[in-house]
Amino acid sequence: MIGNGQRGALLFLVRRLSAALPVLLGVAIFTFVLMRVLPGDPAIFFASGPAAGEEEIRELRAKMGLDRSIPEQLWIYFKDLASGNLGMSLTTGRPVVADIAERLPASLELALFALVIALAIALPLGVAAALSPGSILDHAVRMICTAGVSLPTFVTGLILIYVFYYLLGVAPDPTGRLNIFLIAPPSRTGFLLVDTLIAGDFATFMAALHQLALPSATMSIYVLAPIARMTRASMLAVLSSDFVRTAVAMGLGRGTVIVVYAFRNAVIPVLTTVGVVFSSMLGANVLVEKVFSWPGVGSYALDALLGSDYAPVQGFVLLMAIIFVAVNFLIDTLYSLADPRVTVE
Amino acid sequence: MKTGRTACAMVARHIVLAAIGGLVALAGFSNAFAQTRAETLRVVTGASINTLDASMSAATRESYGISWNVYDRLATWETRKLGAGEVFDFNRMKGELAESWEVSADGRVITFRLRKDAVFHDGTPVTTEDVKWSLDRVLAQKGPAGQMATGSLTRPEQFEIVDRHTLRVTMERADRLALPNLGVVFPVIINSKLARSKAAPDDPWATKWLAENAAASGAYAVESWKPGEHIVLRRFDGWKGGPLPYFRRIIVQHVPEAATRKTLVEKGDADLATDLNPNDVMELERGGRVKVVSVPQINGFSFVAFNSRVPPYDNVKVRQALSYALPYSDMFKGAVFSRGVPLYGRKDSLPIRPEYPTPYPYETNLVKAKHLLAEAGHPNGFATTFSFNVTSASVAEPMAVLIKESLAKIGVQVEIQKLPDAQMATMVTEKKLPFFAESSFAWLPSPDYFFRIYYRGDWRWNFGSYSNAEFEKQIEEARWERDAKRYDQLVVSMVEAAFRDVPMMPLWQPAVDAVMAKEISGFTYWFHRQVDYRQLKRAR
Repeated sequence: MIGNGQRGALLFLVRRLSAALPVLLGVAIFTFVLMRVLPGDPAIFFASGPAAGEEEIRELRAKMGLDRSIPEQLWIYFKDLASGNLGMSLTTGRPVVADIAERLPASLELALFALVIALAIALPLGVAAALSPGSILDHAVRMICTAGVSLPTFVTGLILIYVFYYLLGVAPDPTGRLNIFLIAPPSRTGFLLVDTLIAGDFATFMAALHQLALPSATMSIYVLAPIARMTRASMLAVLSSDFVRTAVAMGLGRGTVIVVYAFRNAVIPVLTTVGVVFSSMLGANVLVEKVFSWPGVGSYALDALLGSDYAPVQGFVLLMAIIFVAVNFLIDTLYSLADPRVTVE
Repeated sequence: MKTGRTACAMVARHIVLAAIGGLVALAGFSNAFAQTRAETLRVVTGASINTLDASMSAATRESYGISWNVYDRLATWETRKLGAGEVFDFNRMKGELAESWEVSADGRVITFRLRKDAVFHDGTPVTTEDVKWSLDRVLAQKGPAGQMATGSLTRPEQFEIVDRHTLRVTMERADRLALPNLGVVFPVIINSKLARSKAAPDDPWATKWLAENAAASGAYAVESWKPGEHIVLRRFDGWKGGPLPYFRRIIVQHVPEAATRKTLVEKGDADLATDLNPNDVMELERGGRVKVVSVPQINGFSFVAFNSRVPPYDNVKVRQALSYALPYSDMFKGAVFSRGVPLYGRKDSLPIRPEYPTPYPYETNLVKAKHLLAEAGHPNGFATTFSFNVTSASVAEPMAVLIKESLAKIGVQVEIQKLPDAQMATMVTEKKLPFFAESSFAWLPSPDYFFRIYYRGDWRWNFGSYSNAEFEKQIEEARWERDAKRYDQLVVSMVEAAFRDVPMMPLWQPAVDAVMAKEISGFTYWFHRQVDYRQLKRAR
């Protein structure tokens, strides 16, 4: 039986992955073609000074491989992809794989941390609002959510910087992951909070945590709304259902009813929302990265896009697609944990 | 239960110990911090450093700045006072790695004598072998070679080793820009022994290694570099190229958001920024917590360009008409807050001096503009687009609105077009934009060099798509002219043609606003528009 279960899980994994492959392939081709169709010739853009003549531009174009036909370029791109080579970035002068490997942990650390904060605040708020709909508390939660979602992240970021760094002086200067005068621990995981603990460097851990506070607060304020609203709506639906009424009628404790019976059943749509929110936090929060000089993948991709630097944009989009697939897979798995009736197929 | 509790207690004790350790470490850190902070300069910039090798294609300007401070060249420029700051003095060069040089009577041969005591950061003495290898390397890179060619430096055979400390540079014809070209960003002197040991058969000039490592003799050595985040420079106390700089450490940090850079400088956590938004600079200046040094960028200009090859701009009268219809003083006030040097409104009565960029004899005169437009056959005006790129939007956007408003008064309907930088560059190069705003900087502020770059040829820098055989003949003649008087005559004649034909209408020389902590002094504007840390000081 156990062997069967394992084989089933493996089969499921293979099936999921093979279903994801065409999607990734499509994304890769689409981005590749789109970048080349967009106006703006990187060879011209990167040729500069008195050596920007026609001949030099042609040579630069040949060096970048842009003198070939698009299908030919695509073929070369896929050959490179197969060997794990995402190409070279012109703006940073380094391989895209190296750039992403360095910057992804920064983005992940920020997004995960912000997500944890957001969940810790949004779930209780959502549940509380659902328990007394129409009350002052419910309205307060709605107001907080509306304010959070309607303030663009860079505005929230700049306000937080102004108040906590500039006026009060309690936050460290908003320049990246670690105070510039501190020495970073040897990079093992790329997650600064983890690396400092591995190195046993408590002071640097605290400094990194300090540095993380404002950007993650900015991000979590923005994503508070979808999570809290979804929790409230889903809880409301569940609370008015028959089995909850039965549970209350049977004299079960209020805590047991809310947490075990209602919340567990209400959590599935919340999980879906969290999945979407997390993916968007990772990729779309360029503005937070810019405002806090956070060396993440979002600002990297934006700079590349503005500079007509093809390889990093392609690499970034592919990475986001992979993460999206992975997050969806994870969320599906969590469904069955939350509700044993759901089986992942 | 019992074991569980003991484990808990142990963990708690560990946490307390770690916390105490952390606090002690923090205290020690802040002591050391106070001592070194005064001798550390923390600079914040909007763009990042993408290579340590300035001759790599796509190297950012910030990378040029690092190369400038980390490497030495044979010669460099003296500085002079201008306004509140200092600028490089293009007419006076001095030795950096070269102790002295002589130019032969016919101007074709320059003989350099190296400083005998100069060493690279690893202690290896600097010899002509390094100089020869480095200069040959510059010629082997396409982009930098194009720059060197503007000074007739094209073939490795031109650089000859005479002895360990003497190098001869020979040209076919005397070229006024040969020596200046040896002082620009590219011809840095590299530790050839070290670099060669890192070369590969398919990479004889060690471009891969030098992009990530420096093999230099300059005033600062690279202590650490995290691409896209920050670079830390340490003073090289064995530097012989000039007086020992004040700052022991330089931290250059990439802070993409201008508002964040402003806050950092204002708060005193960062010492210097040169790329803040103009309105932030005004606010900081009023606030009085920091010092703002504003210096005109003497080797550049902001202008509007007309595509003089397509109608209606192929008619010189249309170009003149529009040049009389631009709202100059409104733009100067509204777009750059009157910071910089105006290049319009020159009085006709003044004699024309042999210099460029120089103020043009145009000012806002709508009557004259209408008249010229009617003469050109457009009494009711026409419709056109006006383009600028996203990066320059903070200046170009208000400019565009003012232009639209002013040109409407003579019947010219303007549609404003904001383009991503790469797209704008492509369209400018392909001569597809009729009317647009740009700023450009030429490293060598020599009039004939400006005309060579901006007033001829089928390339991006000929923004006005100017084509005039007579003018081109004069450019060529001026380049080789050794008689100063005749050279001046030629320049004046070309300036007159530029006034008359206006393929581009210069607006102003923008100023660089260096915002710094009050006690910092010595800011100098350089042709590469980056900060020279060697001249900065903190007065206590």
